[in-house]
Amino acid sequence: MSATITVSSETLAASAPKVTVKQILAGIWSWAPLYPMVAVFIIAIIGPWIVPLSPTEVAGSPNLSPGGAFPFGTDSTGLDVFSRTIAAFRNDIVIATLTSLISTTVGILLGLLIGMNESRRGLLGWVARFLVRVLDLIQAVPAVVIALALVAVVGTSVFSLTIALAIILTPNQARMVRTEVLKVRGDAYIDAARMAGEREFALTLRHVLPNASWPALENASLVFGAAILIAATLGFLGVGLQPPTPEWGSMISTGASDAAVGRWWSFIFPAIALVIAVGSFALAGQRVFGRRNH
Amino acid sequence: MIDQKDGAVTKTLEVLRRQRWWVTRVLALPVHLFFFAVAVFFIVRMIPGDPVAVLTGGQNVSSAKAEQIRASLGLTGSLFSQFIHYLHNVVTLQFGNSMIDGLSVRGELSQRLPETIELAVIAMVIATALTVVMGLVAVLRPRSILAKILVPYARTAGAIPDFVLGVLGIFIFYTAFHLLPAPNGSYAPTLNPDPRVTGFPLLDALFAGDTAMFGSICAHLVLPVGVLVIANTPLLLKIFLRSLEEAVDAAPTRFRIAAGASRKTVLLSVVRRAAPAAVAMMGTLFGFLLGGVVVVEQLFAMPGMGLYGVNAVNSSDRTALEGFLVLVATISLVVFLIVDLINMTIDPRRRPGLAKDGAS
Repeated sequence: MSATITVSSETLAASAPKVTVKQILAGIWSWAPLYPMVAVFIIAIIGPWIVPLSPTEVAGSPNLSPGGAFPFGTDSTGLDVFSRTIAAFRNDIVIATLTSLISTTVGILLGLLIGMNESRRGLLGWVARFLVRVLDLIQAVPAVVIALALVAVVGTSVFSLTIALAIILTPNQARMVRTEVLKVRGDAYIDAARMAGEREFALTLRHVLPNASWPALENASLVFGAAILIAATLGFLGVGLQPPTPEWGSMISTGASDAAVGRWWSFIFPAIALVIAVGSFALAGQRVFGRRNH
Repeated sequence: MIDQKDGAVTKTLEVLRRQRWWVTRVLALPVHLFFFAVAVFFIVRMIPGDPVAVLTGGQNVSSAKAEQIRASLGLTGSLFSQFIHYLHNVVTLQFGNSMIDGLSVRGELSQRLPETIELAVIAMVIATALTVVMGLVAVLRPRSILAKILVPYARTAGAIPDFVLGVLGIFIFYTAFHLLPAPNGSYAPTLNPDPRVTGFPLLDALFAGDTAMFGSICAHLVLPVGVLVIANTPLLLKIFLRSLEEAVDAAPTRFRIAAGASRKTVLLSVVRRAAPAAVAMMGTLFGFLLGGVVVVEQLFAMPGMGLYGVNAVNSSDRTALEGFLVLVATISLVVFLIVDLINMTIDPRRRPGLAKDGAS
């Protein structure tokens, strides 16, 4: 909430006639935590076009150390590590973005459905209470294990990985919204709207939705990070995006055996990219939503 | 006579009513397991590709032979009769033989389970002990250097994935400095395994009095356990710190201090009120550790359950995957049951029947 206030006061300050350079700089600086995320997105968009060498074809002799034409060296099959690390941004970011969009939207809808109906009698109440149990059960089993089961079914394309990750990460979002709906449901303005004759459906959309969905929106940046991590973990286990598709997890997996014999470069660069991508979103989430969820 | 009987009945009912909180929770376990079994049944049947082709390695077989294979996999008859057959298998823990290597899935899993449990439990114990100590230090001595390091560490929860930590660990401690053994299994390949007593490698080595083996297993466990602990402790610490801070600031603490209670009493009450959130978190932590074990076993080539599951997915081995999923679900649900029971014991307000509508 405080974030919205800061935004408006800053925009006001920026549009006011008497702004000093210092104020502009302060404004730019105050949004600094968002820059890494912006950079990550830009690399994801233009990455595959700016890489010097093909990320999926043999570019030189295997196991060249960093330097010269290969700033990050080449891996054990002669692929250019730099090009692959940069090109991988797009795959991982697309999966993570779609996953956090889907799981947040579906999570909010499910949370509303459950929260508004679970104490009712009749079929809808039963369905809602049943869904609560299902969400609990999905969260009881390790995410990696559910992911393993799901990729066995849906396969390992970008699209199917997104579906699998959305199934894994939606329950948490839905539970957060449900908790909030249960708090909001008893508030006076809901009763007022009901007394004013608003129908339950309209009331849910107009009053409960905007008041109960913020925990899921806040959490979306963490869902983003979790999606990248699980996608990379699957790649590492050999059941994610299949090589030679550039993907950090599978690159780290092949890099691991190189690192064990001293060739650190094919492992360390994708690992750094992975940590930066996850960290940039956590940082941005912290800036926008405050420290509440950290 | 009748009165006496009635009295006995009411007494029994009263006892039952008092014990209801844990009885209902324990009885929920088989129901939850049933739902998982149903989910696994459908997931495994949705795996694309012809199981007969997987089993025969793509060779052409006569239709009679193919039908025979289907029957042996429980894939003939109506979906309902398949389901009954499957449920019977789950209840009797007979998952059949692996489609790839032909070994009994149950035998393989019971062989591998102790290895995985050993790894997860050691990591869990260390992570919990570290969390309690670090949490108390950070809250009781907020100005110490240690507290200043711990709080940001707790915030990093989940930033560096376990497999990156693992590869880094191998590179530093094995490749660069040769302090720890190569990531090639759970003990040095030159040693012979000890006779199987408990199935837990460490305990078996201990029972056999095999110090060389014991040392080798310990050395091979350092990195995997270290990775799991470093990757997962921040999460637990974060939750524990938050609830400790709340409990320190709460009215009961102020009352105890105002009433002149000893420091020990105050501390005990703070920890007790902070514990439920952390205990609940431990259930989640164990889940994370099980997931982490899958990764760590792959990285360090340890022959546990995780490796089995990953191989089953990679080779579309339906029977192995079925057994693996049912077993992992069972372990997870049992852990959550234990966590719930502990929490309801520490904090009776969490018992069912007391929670009113709207409680979350």
